[in-house]
Amino acid sequence: MPEAAAGSGTAPSGGPGGPWLLEARSISIQFGGVKALDDVSLSVAPGEAVGLVGPNGAGKTTLFNCMCGQLRPSAGSVYFGGEPIHELPAHLRARLGIRRTFQRVEVFPHLTVRDHMIVAERARRGDGALWKDLLNKGRVKPDEMQAVDAVLELVGLQDLAEVPVAALSLGHCRLVELGRALAGQPRLLLADEPSSGLDVHETSSLAEVLRSVQRERDMAVLLVEHDMEMVAKAVDRVVVLDVGEIIAEGTFAEVVANPEVRRAYLGRTA
Amino acid sequence: MSTFLSYGVPGIPYGCDFALMAVGLVLTFRATGVFNLAFGAQAFAAAFIFDLLVRTNGLPVWLAFIISVLLISPLLGVALDRFLFRHIPSSSTTAKLVSSVGLLIAIPQSLPIFFGNTPRLNPPSVWLNPSIVYFHLFTTPINGGEISTTVVTVVVVAALVAMFRWTGIGLQMRAVVESRRMAQLEGINSPNVAAAAWALSSVLAGLAGVLMLPLTAELSSTVPLQFTSLLVAGITAAAVAGMRSIPIALVAAVGLGIVENLLKGYLPSGGALAQTFVPAFPFIVLVGTLLFNPALRGLDISADPLAACDPPPAPPAVSIRDRRLDKPTRVGFWILVIAFLVSSATWVPGLWVTSFAEGLTLSIVFLSITLITGMSGQLSLCQATFAGVGAFAAGQLGTHLGLPVLLGSVVGGLMAAATGAIVAVVAIRLSGLLLALVTLTFALLADQSLFLYSWSGGGLVGVTVPRPKIGTIDFGDDRSFVLLAFVALVLCIVLVMLVQRGTIGRYLAAMRGSPTAAASLGISLTSARLTVFAMSAGIAGFGGALYGSVLQSVSASTFVYEISLAFVVVVITTGSQSVEGAVQAGMAYSVFALILTYFPERFAGIEPILFAFGAMTYAAHPEGIVEYQKSRWMARVARLLRAYDERRAGASGTPGAAVGGEAPAMGAPPREVRPAVSLPSGDGVGA
Repeated sequence: MPEAAAGSGTAPSGGPGGPWLLEARSISIQFGGVKALDDVSLSVAPGEAVGLVGPNGAGKTTLFNCMCGQLRPSAGSVYFGGEPIHELPAHLRARLGIRRTFQRVEVFPHLTVRDHMIVAERARRGDGALWKDLLNKGRVKPDEMQAVDAVLELVGLQDLAEVPVAALSLGHCRLVELGRALAGQPRLLLADEPSSGLDVHETSSLAEVLRSVQRERDMAVLLVEHDMEMVAKAVDRVVVLDVGEIIAEGTFAEVVANPEVRRAYLGRTA
Repeated sequence: MSTFLSYGVPGIPYGCDFALMAVGLVLTFRATGVFNLAFGAQAFAAAFIFDLLVRTNGLPVWLAFIISVLLISPLLGVALDRFLFRHIPSSSTTAKLVSSVGLLIAIPQSLPIFFGNTPRLNPPSVWLNPSIVYFHLFTTPINGGEISTTVVTVVVVAALVAMFRWTGIGLQMRAVVESRRMAQLEGINSPNVAAAAWALSSVLAGLAGVLMLPLTAELSSTVPLQFTSLLVAGITAAAVAGMRSIPIALVAAVGLGIVENLLKGYLPSGGALAQTFVPAFPFIVLVGTLLFNPALRGLDISADPLAACDPPPAPPAVSIRDRRLDKPTRVGFWILVIAFLVSSATWVPGLWVTSFAEGLTLSIVFLSITLITGMSGQLSLCQATFAGVGAFAAGQLGTHLGLPVLLGSVVGGLMAAATGAIVAVVAIRLSGLLLALVTLTFALLADQSLFLYSWSGGGLVGVTVPRPKIGTIDFGDDRSFVLLAFVALVLCIVLVMLVQRGTIGRYLAAMRGSPTAAASLGISLTSARLTVFAMSAGIAGFGGALYGSVLQSVSASTFVYEISLAFVVVVITTGSQSVEGAVQAGMAYSVFALILTYFPERFAGIEPILFAFGAMTYAAHPEGIVEYQKSRWMARVARLLRAYDERRAGASGTPGAAVGGEAPAMGAPPREVRPAVSLPSGDGVGA
């Protein structure tokens, strides 16, 4: 793990083919006349947990969308495992091992919680050939069920496994999203405000789950979050974005003390 | 130059006809959020009443105009809002489109029930006489009809632009389209604003209908939209305008009229190009616009921020059913199936057996709608066209190559699957409303061109599709054919259920819920969409071939686009999300038609009306109105059984026995009941 991942606060060095797992280089995107991202570069090393924070409208979710393929930036490039992925569609980026959760919850309302995990598990395995379904090979197999149960237990949804997701609360939907992303056994998890809609205790246990999964699986995490307590618990390094530009980077303590960051959040130099 | 003008200038009033339709579509969409395919039907209703008042009742033209356009049309608009669209505020644009398809069928079919179905020839004109030439423009004679249409179109467009730009009601209408409930929370009287929007749009439809009346040689409920070119051009111009800009819709429509006239003028008549390219031109422009106009992106997304307040979708009836009813239901089902087969083979009158054979084969076609609409949430308005491809292929292969009909049906299914794959490839980036419109365009193109050739639909004569033979067994008799059709249906049901319960079914359900999230898991939307479209078209083609074999002769008119619309409304009424719904739809469609032959001819339209009303409820009950009613009955029976258990437990004094045995929790989720997910409205159609 690079030095920064251990919490030293020094930005790790690397490049395509180097130690970086994900590297976004000079990403810019405009919506009409508004520059949502202006020459933003950000890197995540394998197994590293990075927090991406900033006031509302800073461009955090836009950056996520550019990395995952939901948006095409007007300039810049994205590398994953040293390979350029900025030309790939979203589903092919996912197949490389990038999974995400969404700021505005995106679940499949007609499926049960368990079905969400099965879909993610099958997508990970690359299933989906018509002939397999026609030969009745689409049934849920014991090993699939085992993997799905493990994820359900991890996110604490085993009691709600058979419930259609449309009937769940927002907090539970967030957990479904997280479980679904983890079921894909990602190398990099992009979590977009996963604690929104959760209470204090749920947020705290979510941070613990994220941290333990990240360490156990050596999974990199890029976390967008407004709850600073959770950020402090769950990440090694924090990047601060404001009005489409990176204004600070370092450990949690360093960025909290940064006057530029305080100005961005509070509107004055505190 | 003078040749150019003499070809181009007549295109202006011609384009103004398109413009009235296009402006009507844009106005309705901007003011109500509905892509109103029924605009033509509303126009037809006003024209029909106008004609009736003038010619049957002898009213003066001005009075008939006031009654039909300024009185009845807005009342119809208000009624549509009050009884239909008010109850589906956060449904997706596609779900509302289904409701408008229902209206498109129901409105014209309702009128003959009250006023008879005698075709009304040479309808009157409302203003200037279309047979009088008033002046010449660059040597082009301009008649009264052209002047009326052009003047009224320009005035209407100016008035509407002014209304949206400078009046408070225009702004309120835009707010109400975004979210009726949110606008209401801001103090806007949303119900009244929406009703006003519908009244205004309906007046415009009435105006269009009455103005275009002289264009139609015959006014009949069976050909309410005989102006197909008008519909296509109207949708094209509205699409060019991104469903937003009324002036652009006008300019696009007039431009289209001019270009069409220039093409007709310059391309040598009788030449191959004139015969193939000119009729296909509006369709090409429409598909191009739907595919490449960025202003149309996101049109289908319901932005209602209060959509999360809607209750979660109803669970299927089978999941509500008390478990004690499972066995009797299963036994009852098998008794019904055996009784049906034995009866069909023995004592049922021949006419009814033919109807059963039609119903079974149509059920196969309808299974294709279960796949495309029920599972993937997309709306295809060309399933009858795919059925036609299968039927024509089976017939042509049998006639020219001597291929046995059953084998021909399978090959026909494969050819339909290939056709479906081509349509899917063209429309691969589209979903929801835009995909539905591309499929509608394909159906119209097949009607107007593809099926009219002797090598495809057999021209005017049609194609013969004989009854199949397997070895020495001849299925020429209806009774034996019913058994064959039953076996084919069971096979198709098994295939569809395997897909539904397998990986692709789950992927499709995921995509229906959130395409973005599905892609983020690594699911290829393109390949899933292509697979389901091809398979759905293949099943429709196979079913269509067998249906053709029941009829024994099919032509282009057997599979016109109105049939596709009718198929969709029938399946949606009985339930598009289960194979059971498709079978119910197939049997109901053919048996109702037979029953209605015992009634006076004017009631022939009752069947489409019944199904159309069912389709209108789609946005509110995406599981199908029949399935919804079944769920209610299941819930009622389960409640009665629980009450019976409780009484029995009370009488015996057994504590803890009064919990309803194994009765499930009535569809309520076991724990959380607060829906917090912003559901893709209208069952996620086109989400």
